Amino acid sequence: MTLAISNRRKRKDLIMRALLGLGTLVALVPLVLVLWYVAKRGLSAWSWHFFSTDPTGSFLGDPGGVKSAILGTIMMVALATVIAVPLGVGVALYLTEYGKDSKFAKTVRYFIDVMTGVPSIVFGLFVFIVLILSGVGGGYAGWKGSIALALLMLPIVTRSAEVVLLLVPSTLRESALALGAPRWRVIARVVLPTALPGLVTGSLLAVARAAGETAPLLFTAAIVNGSTLDLGTRMNSLPVQIFNDVGQAQDRLVARAWGAALTLVVLVLLLTLIARFMSRRSRFG
Amino acid sequence: MQREPDLGIVSSATVTAPGGRPVLGRSPAARLPDQILRWGLTVLAGAILVLIAFFFVRLYVEAKPAFDKFGVIGFTFDNNWDVSRSIFGALPLLVGTLVTSAVALIIGVPVAIAAALFVTELSPRKARGPLTIMVDLLAAVPSVVYGLWGVFVLIPKLKPAEQWVSDTLHFIPFIGGAAVAGPNYFIGGLILAIMIVPIVSAITREVMATVPSDHKEAALALGATRWEMIRTAILPYSRAGITGAAMLGLGRAIGETIAVTLVVGNAPQIGKHLFDQGYTLAAVIANEFGEAANNPIHRAALIAAGLVLFVLTLVVNAAARWFVNRSQRA
Amino acid sequence: MKSRQWLAVVPMTAALAMGAAACGSSSSSDTGNNSAAGSGGSDSSASGTVNGAGSTFAAPIYQQWGSDLKKQGITVNYQPVGSGAGVAALANKTAEFAGSDPPLTADDKNSIKTPTIQIPMAIGAITVSYNVSGLQKGLKLDGPTIADIFMGKVKSWNDPEIAKQNPGVNLPSSNITVVHRSDESGTTKGFTTFLSAYSSEWKSKIGADKTVKWPTGTGAKGNDGVAAAVKQTPGAVGYVEQAYALQNNFTYADVKNKSGKYVAPTLQSTSAAGEGLTVPADLGVVTIDSPNAAAYPISSQTFVDVHQDVCRGGMSAGNAKALKAFLNYGLAQGQDAAKELFYAPLPASLLTKSKAQINKIQCNGSPISGS
Repeated sequence: MTLAISNRRKRKDLIMRALLGLGTLVALVPLVLVLWYVAKRGLSAWSWHFFSTDPTGSFLGDPGGVKSAILGTIMMVALATVIAVPLGVGVALYLTEYGKDSKFAKTVRYFIDVMTGVPSIVFGLFVFIVLILSGVGGGYAGWKGSIALALLMLPIVTRSAEVVLLLVPSTLRESALALGAPRWRVIARVVLPTALPGLVTGSLLAVARAAGETAPLLFTAAIVNGSTLDLGTRMNSLPVQIFNDVGQAQDRLVARAWGAALTLVVLVLLLTLIARFMSRRSRFG
Repeated sequence: MQREPDLGIVSSATVTAPGGRPVLGRSPAARLPDQILRWGLTVLAGAILVLIAFFFVRLYVEAKPAFDKFGVIGFTFDNNWDVSRSIFGALPLLVGTLVTSAVALIIGVPVAIAAALFVTELSPRKARGPLTIMVDLLAAVPSVVYGLWGVFVLIPKLKPAEQWVSDTLHFIPFIGGAAVAGPNYFIGGLILAIMIVPIVSAITREVMATVPSDHKEAALALGATRWEMIRTAILPYSRAGITGAAMLGLGRAIGETIAVTLVVGNAPQIGKHLFDQGYTLAAVIANEFGEAANNPIHRAALIAAGLVLFVLTLVVNAAARWFVNRSQRA
Repeated sequence: MKSRQWLAVVPMTAALAMGAAACGSSSSSDTGNNSAAGSGGSDSSASGTVNGAGSTFAAPIYQQWGSDLKKQGITVNYQPVGSGAGVAALANKTAEFAGSDPPLTADDKNSIKTPTIQIPMAIGAITVSYNVSGLQKGLKLDGPTIADIFMGKVKSWNDPEIAKQNPGVNLPSSNITVVHRSDESGTTKGFTTFLSAYSSEWKSKIGADKTVKWPTGTGAKGNDGVAAAVKQTPGAVGYVEQAYALQNNFTYADVKNKSGKYVAPTLQSTSAAGEGLTVPADLGVVTIDSPNAAAYPISSQTFVDVHQDVCRGGMSAGNAKALKAFLNYGLAQGQDAAKELFYAPLPASLLTKSKAQINKIQCNGSPISGS
């Protein structure tokens, strides 16, 4: 026989349920508000001019759009991805296939974990000290910004890649090896293809994170009121452009910041949602 | 993970085809790609280790002049950040970092736990997926966008409410009684709270998923209401894990730079109350580094601030990991 | 499985391809870089890219000049990061010229190490702008009162110190929110020099420098940041260069000058501050608190600083020519362009000396050709 639940307990249950629901709402309301404001104010700033002209820095005249910021973000993040993803997957492969639980592998894992906690501005600081202050290849450059972003992405890619690679059933590996296939072939033909959707998901999330980062770029790539496709010179980027425009008094510059923010949010959300879509669909049978 | 058999030895010793050639064996030349791959990846992993070690060493070396001049304790705990006189005591920055992070924890952690509980225990099954995605999407918004929103939406809209709280609670020492500044500690903490909710919630969800379902079912079978089941079966079990999640959120809050620097007021002083302006370790680096780049002691001071920041996040994250591991071992 | 892989691989490949293309390309869409000849204009031989950084006080004119020169193939990239950061950028060679409002100090010169040339460019007015509903332009304030406001001693708009100087003006009782610079700023140095001249308490406790320990108030980055903060905060007061104040329709104060007159910042009063200056050898003039009766007391000079030998400092010969053309333009037609932004042109004697400085700039040991 079940004990009857007193009214007091029923009330408490309802109150707590309501509170928990309220808490969830409180968690979600900022998301809705941010997206709504960014969409509302950003959309009114979007125009053909906004996307096709570069910021001119002109005080009284036309302030220009954000073309160099968009191109800069795409290029610097692409370069950072090219650096970080192979290196990260490589380290993850080492950890899962060769290192496993050895002391060396444990140390590497620990240090990678430590790197995930480093504030992003410290990466920018490090690249500034090592690559700019020392006079290597002169001044601010887009590729130096990419290196700072790659440092940021590396631990994320490594960690998620390791998780995914560990999920590849060991039976798949063992049967391939038992059939006489050399290790490298097993990795290339069995492990990597099986893990590919997960690896892509992890990489896309790292890319989305890097695209939104401002601090590492502040003193490595620097903002430019102009346009360049040359990674060897200073490059503009969406987050830095927004950061600069937020502190402006002119309304039209602030409007440009909202427009750039909407562009950035759309880019990041697209990457995140594609990554999620891929992860939900990948199964290991 | 068990060690797979070394095929070279097995095959060369056993199976042979007519002619004596091992059927499944590999000549030493064929083993070369494997060796290359193995060594290549090992060297890569080692190189990453070296890079990270170099990273810390270089930062310390650059920060050393500041520690030499003011002493480690002096630099970290002196209440005087005076750039023009080249005196660098980081206490106002440290206090600002801690105050905004504390506000972030106080607001963010309960909300995150509530969301995690709601999604896993109380929401209808179909809503679970979309709700989870929405909470996680909070992490996808770039911090500069949060800053932009904070400056133009949050600050003006919350100012009347903040002033009301400050006036009504004027008897509580740190909270009330004075004029509310536009950008202040509270707004900084609020934005940080929003930013840490996704990470705290995600880890809490994972931790709660490890609660054995028989605990939960036993409580329900004994006649507990849903809330009582949560209170007696889930929360005690997950306590360590939730603490770990909160500490990870704290680590995130401590290191956040851009969103905070736009809304905290950038005043290198210890704010007198919650709604006063302040500064954080991360924000000072972002703001002052451009001009400090060539002033050795200022630059060293900023890098030292970065090091202090980094040590803080290290300690907090290590403690967090310890808590989360403890909960998973239980 | 395969189609889904392509779904994600395609955008990534596209991004990678763009990255690879970028690495290989030599900035085909970069305007003016390495282009052969400029189109028309007086300096058809000078074209190139010049990178500068520094004073937000002077940013409007440098950016205006840059946009005027674009037609001639000269690209000027100027980063308004504040005078302090500008000098630092010149020192570590991330910029080729620095915009600095205060003259270079011994510390600045030490950090740059190699010899520099300092070129006065224009004079601008630092307004004391306020955002108080109902309060019109032209509130009368003297040096001691402004110092007290920025020290936090005068806390509300109807304080007797302000009321005394403004009889008949309806002053609200709202709180004063001070806005100041958070970055190293030449504007700050000019403003605090003025305050130190009129308040001994300010001079001893806080002093005059590019960055000081502000007793109260919010910090904002750049003149534009201060303008933004003043605009967004009712009851705020901040010091911003006049171009920024005018662009945002700010109300600003009439400040009492050395002769005892309350003067509004205008083109005439700013020019008056530049009259009768004693010019030191390195041209490091200071126009703050000018003794002229008609002068606006918080008028500040602004300089462009370059390495004496710009090519040894990292510039190519072509870009060095472009730099010289930029500077020559600034001291010629640029002076009129500056007037339209309410910056006072240099007085004639100083202008001649300034132009002479430009001819001292060298490239790898020899003077730069071209006018």
